[in-house]
Amino acid sequence: MNKAWKLMRIMVKMQLSMANKSTTEKVGYLLIGLMMIPFGLLVLFFIQGLIGSMYAALEPLGNESVILGLLFVMMTFFYCFISIGTVLSSFYFAEDVESFISLPFEPYQILFGKSAVPFLSLYGLNSILLLPSLIFYGIHSSSGILYYLFAVLIWAFTPIIPFVLTAIILMFIMRFANISKNKDRTKVLVGLMGFIFAIGINVLLRLDAGTGNSDISQMFTQQNALLELITKFFPTAYFSSIALTEIGSWTGLLYFLTFVCLSVAAIVLFLTVGQRFYFKGVLGLSGGRRKTFKEEKMQKQLKPQSVFVSLWKKEMRIILRTPTFFTQIVVQSLFFPLFFIVLIIMDPNGPLTGWGSQLNEMEGKKVILSMFGLTVVALGINPASFSSISRDGKSWFNHLYLPIPASNIILSKLLVSFFINFLSLLLLSVAALFVLKVPLMIWLVWFIISLITGWIASMAGLMIDFYSPKLNWTDEREVFKGRFIGIVPLALEATVFGVIILILWTSGLHGIWSTSAVLTGILIILTVLIQYFLTMMVKRKYYNIL
Amino acid sequence: MIEINQISKSFAGKDAVKDLDLSIPDGKIFGFLGPNGAGKSTTIKMMTGILPIDKGSIVMNGIDVSKDPIKAKLQFGYVPDRSDIFLRLKGIEYLNFIADVFEVSQDMRKEKIEYLTKSFGIYEALNDHIQTYSHGMRQKIVVSGVLLHDPDVWILDEPLTGLDPKSSYTLKEMMREHASRGKIVFFSTHVLEVVEQLCDEVAIINNGHVQFKGNMAEMKQQFAEDDNLERLFLELTQNE
Repeated sequence: MNKAWKLMRIMVKMQLSMANKSTTEKVGYLLIGLMMIPFGLLVLFFIQGLIGSMYAALEPLGNESVILGLLFVMMTFFYCFISIGTVLSSFYFAEDVESFISLPFEPYQILFGKSAVPFLSLYGLNSILLLPSLIFYGIHSSSGILYYLFAVLIWAFTPIIPFVLTAIILMFIMRFANISKNKDRTKVLVGLMGFIFAIGINVLLRLDAGTGNSDISQMFTQQNALLELITKFFPTAYFSSIALTEIGSWTGLLYFLTFVCLSVAAIVLFLTVGQRFYFKGVLGLSGGRRKTFKEEKMQKQLKPQSVFVSLWKKEMRIILRTPTFFTQIVVQSLFFPLFFIVLIIMDPNGPLTGWGSQLNEMEGKKVILSMFGLTVVALGINPASFSSISRDGKSWFNHLYLPIPASNIILSKLLVSFFINFLSLLLLSVAALFVLKVPLMIWLVWFIISLITGWIASMAGLMIDFYSPKLNWTDEREVFKGRFIGIVPLALEATVFGVIILILWTSGLHGIWSTSAVLTGILIILTVLIQYFLTMMVKRKYYNIL
Repeated sequence: MIEINQISKSFAGKDAVKDLDLSIPDGKIFGFLGPNGAGKSTTIKMMTGILPIDKGSIVMNGIDVSKDPIKAKLQFGYVPDRSDIFLRLKGIEYLNFIADVFEVSQDMRKEKIEYLTKSFGIYEALNDHIQTYSHGMRQKIVVSGVLLHDPDVWILDEPLTGLDPKSSYTLKEMMREHASRGKIVFFSTHVLEVVEQLCDEVAIINNGHVQFKGNMAEMKQQFAEDDNLERLFLELTQNE
């Protein structure tokens, strides 16, 4: 076990190391941390309100344990879901897997080490969501010190079982499904699952809301043994809820001990199963497939084209062929417009439908500013832009010795993220023109403004990535996760564009044309300014980021 | 002709290369030797524009690498020591990309790609993603890419590592032929036998300084007491 601990320490160090990071980067992390505080407070405020109102409704009926049950069920579900990605990435797809296999370690020792980082990320989430929820519950139920003691222990044990269960199931799948031959396809599938999940939940909620309009708290009070019902498939959630509601009684203690024993047993089971199955799934993962050689097909590709087109195609190919990039960039960018369309279609009588026909009656300024706000949200989170440089990883240096001007490389990368933005704008346009029936002229004005916004968003994202790119990754996921990088451009754009919207909204302008003209003017000035800074940045940094 | 004039490079205050002077005449195979961490790769990276030069200058065929980088980069072809090239591209796409960058005509690229990849035995793998290639195959595709546009200067960082004997022989023959046409082959290596077999001139670098520069005969003469190159190399590069 000593070896396993050592291995774990090394692995954690490798992934979370701040070595090689400049002071400015560290300051950057600190700033991001500070920026997250208001956001965190908002979440806390929301959780506290939710628990408070539920407690008030359920406590008189003696059903308050349902709150905890619901909380634990949700958490279990959430942890299982998140673990799918982190486990696959850490156990199977990370490139360092092979280097550990060749060392004299038992499979369970490698697994133990490899679990550390995914597990730590679960604890991060656990601390943000579960811990405050338990504290708020404690405050509302005016619990004593014993409750808090148990709550902390349960907090510490909660992520174990969902993580272990997910890992075991995945190990079985990887062992028997022979996924190694379809590594790329598996990655795409796992990536897509998240989005299908989000859209699916939304559809379900909407369908459910359609059948009856009962209040959620009312629904709870009408059912008996509600806790058993909602924790039916998650016995551990039941155990932890009882342990926390029956504080001080033997029943509570018994359930608590059962929960702890189950968690410990789960770890033992995990390591035992891992010892038997891990290597069988992981070996052979690195092999690739070769297709039969078709000379004609190859010869056909030998056509000269401009360097610029060649660069752009290279970028697009890399995005489309790398599963992580495909799901994180293409799927995620198109997700918002698709989600939007689903939202409208699922809600035929909702406030959104017929929105288009009302546009003519609204004040022109408000129409265009609202639509502009929508664009900012839709384009602000374009992962193609803030992964522009980092995507290249260790192959970045190849750009440096080839006789291609830095500005061409950067422009080709900008055009790639702009193109992805353009695709989502097209999708939104379909929704706007055909589903919402937005008048053609309004659409056109919005489309032009959105194109400029898309270009600005692409530049801003690229600059943020350029400022501190992550080139030393071993798994493509590292380009996106744990960098907070998606939040920075969104926050920045939300602030800048938010201010612009606010100023124009309160200004003396009224008509659609005058507002659009002023907005376009501001956006063009912004484009020129950012372009200037980008050029300076390229000059200063391009050859210095290695 | 490559002229390296008093170049220096330091990382975090530590000198990797200090006041290095070298001049490489046309028509030579020039071996660049040194122990690990001596500054070979740093020098090569400065020559190829991957690292900015702190002090000094590098002039390639009369073009200053720092002042006119794009024009200078058209003069040479570079094989890096690691084959971390664009792995998601297919072999043929990579070569096509390189050909586009160096504006190789359609007929020329067809002829050259066929000739080079067939000599290296990777022709039939051109439709596969580079990711599925072995280390040696990746090395071969990079070398093919460099030779594709027929640059005047070849800069090769450990080019023979990972190549099988046949491909290694082929590459060495190509290097000789290139030099015999009055062009430059500049390569770094650890393998002393290769230096002995192949090089017209050598420079041995240690701790960022040039310890020795000259042709093989001079080197042997100067160190007559050493009966083989290995001992000579060890003597030159020991850190007293």
